[in-house]
Amino acid sequence: MTQAVPFLTLDALAVGASAIVTQVAAGDVAEDGVSLSRRLMELGFVPGEKVRLLKRGMPGGEPLAIKVGNSTFALRRFEAALISIQPE
Amino acid sequence: MAVVEKTVPGVHNAPANALPPVVALLGNPNCGKTALFNRLTGARQKVANYAGVTIERKEGAFNSQAGHTFRVLDLPGAYSLTAHTPDEAITRDVVAGLRRGDAAPDVLVCVVNATNLRLNLRLVLEVQRLGLPMLLALNMVDVAKKRGVVIDTARLSQELGMPVVETVAVQPGGEKALVAALDAMLPLPQVVTKPLSAIDAVSVEETQREVRRIIAAAVSGDDEASSTSEKIDSVVLHPVVGPIILAVLMFFVFQAVFSWAATPMDMITGAFEHLGAVLGEYVPEGHLRSLLVDGIIGGVGGVLVFLPQILILFFFILMLEDCGYLPRAAFLLDRLMGGVGLSGRAFIPLLSSFACAIPGVMAARTIQNRRDRFVTIMIAPLMTCSARLPVYALVIAAFIPSREVLGMMNLQGLVLFILYVAGIVSAMLVAYVMKRTMGGKGKHPLMMELPAYHWPHLRNLALGLWERAKIFVTRVGTIILSLTIILWALSSFPDAPEGATQPAIYYSVAGIIGRGLEYIFAPIGFNWQICIALVPGMAAREVAVGALGTVYAMSQTGDELANSLAPVLAASWGLPTALSLLAWFVFAPQCLATLSTVRRETNSVKAAWFMAGYLFALAYVAAFLTFRISTAIIGG
Repeated sequence: MTQAVPFLTLDALAVGASAIVTQVAAGDVAEDGVSLSRRLMELGFVPGEKVRLLKRGMPGGEPLAIKVGNSTFALRRFEAALISIQPE
Repeated sequence: MAVVEKTVPGVHNAPANALPPVVALLGNPNCGKTALFNRLTGARQKVANYAGVTIERKEGAFNSQAGHTFRVLDLPGAYSLTAHTPDEAITRDVVAGLRRGDAAPDVLVCVVNATNLRLNLRLVLEVQRLGLPMLLALNMVDVAKKRGVVIDTARLSQELGMPVVETVAVQPGGEKALVAALDAMLPLPQVVTKPLSAIDAVSVEETQREVRRIIAAAVSGDDEASSTSEKIDSVVLHPVVGPIILAVLMFFVFQAVFSWAATPMDMITGAFEHLGAVLGEYVPEGHLRSLLVDGIIGGVGGVLVFLPQILILFFFILMLEDCGYLPRAAFLLDRLMGGVGLSGRAFIPLLSSFACAIPGVMAARTIQNRRDRFVTIMIAPLMTCSARLPVYALVIAAFIPSREVLGMMNLQGLVLFILYVAGIVSAMLVAYVMKRTMGGKGKHPLMMELPAYHWPHLRNLALGLWERAKIFVTRVGTIILSLTIILWALSSFPDAPEGATQPAIYYSVAGIIGRGLEYIFAPIGFNWQICIALVPGMAAREVAVGALGTVYAMSQTGDELANSLAPVLAASWGLPTALSLLAWFVFAPQCLATLSTVRRETNSVKAAWFMAGYLFALAYVAAFLTFRISTAIIGG
């Protein structure tokens, strides 16, 4: 896959839309010293995987229910913002 | 990336050792691992905490068909050994043999959800790098087959280089293939595990590529078509319909906790009263009778009476958890609760606390973030528990006239409602203040899986309830029993002198303490009678009603007591005192059982003292303001 310039992140995806993960930014190191990006990748958010935004919470469009592979995860906006995507 | 400092290799027990081999069940959360553990061990299990932390350690044992005995350890669910949560840290340390008192397992059974190999296999590949003997249990194969997922187990076994068996944890006999495979692995080789740093030898992306390759080779029919769960979620997580469903569901649970529990609670109260009466006939009047009847039977009965509420509540919590709804509830409430710095997961513990703070504090275990969990535990006692109701009912009946207000509400009901709201609002304020002062890094990750829905299984539900009941009854039988005996002794000794004009409790240690407390409590309008009643009321809040009866030398019990006590109170207290007492009970850290549960759950005496201290301060300030303001308005 070509390394596209990250121009869109997962938190901006519309409800029901799909995309391909292109990159996961490092993000802040969490309290216990493990980086968020590593955990996101461990949950399946790795470049090349298909993601789909199922629902947004209320109020404020947070958290986001995101389908990746066969799993669904709830992410807060700042977590989703670490994931760069290429909309389909 | 991740820093793994501990690199001491784990050394394993020699197979010649007489101890049966330890099988550890390892897997992602929601892979059906605990159901498989229950299937393997049945009631042969021990639930305790890992030393020094409040994470459940479940161990059990089973015998195979070939006559071998195995010990089984149900490790906390983990997405990775690069630990992100305290649960995962335990799993990592046990697998690597780094925990004192827990030898490294002799064989690892990786439990994977057959419907979600894409996520689950990553952990398997990661753990494989440690070099332990391993076995893959393809759990929930029945569901996978129904969805048309075909898994070539022989090919999967060849690709992974470990035995692969199919299991259905929720079906009798669904564990047979696993047990047979474990038998076939004996005798287990003696191995030295590689250090944890071996995991980082391959990057996460590389591992995920390998998972994709294996799935492409061994699995077919695993498409991502919109599943049933997704259809349910389109309703359950709907921005408008979702919260309505949640509200209706919670209203139903709340109703059930109070209405279904009423009969068994009456039965427990009746049984204890009967027991007390029978014992009272056989034991002569005196200290022994008082200890048995008033102290032990009265005190233990007063706490045990909450068992039906706790069981009904946990029945619903376990059921909602088992079918996958709880994370959805947390999703819906995350933003709302986030406003005061709580996580959506705090919702269930707080709801539980309306029945009793003890199960609420216990339910806070489901909150992974340590700070969120601490704040939730701290505010749990501010939810109006059912033990406060008898006190509220008594004081309201005595002082608040039963008349219509605003044309539709009864003033008594309105006051009760205000007391509930006062608890909730102050809990939110306390959470907000704690969020501001304890800070942390502000942004907390959520990253919560919304697992596929499935029907709850009665057997797992029953085992879960049994566990909760055991924990609660054990606490009542140990700490709470000793506390009640101490409080009884305080209220009974020394005896009243000859020709005493006051009730006996006046002359006891509790009486002396109570009269001493009057100096502290006089500014908030409490007389010595109230102060004395507060001392035995530490066992459980509603005991204060009985104690007031003792102080005012009433001979009735139960409803009769409340009916005859109300006019006496109305005659001897001013309205400001009554209102002040109500305000006091909204906050007061009066329940030693809750405080001891907090100590146990947080593993910190300091946390319990902190809770007692801040609640006392709030209670005093609230009662003081209530007393002063109402005195100023209506006159003492």
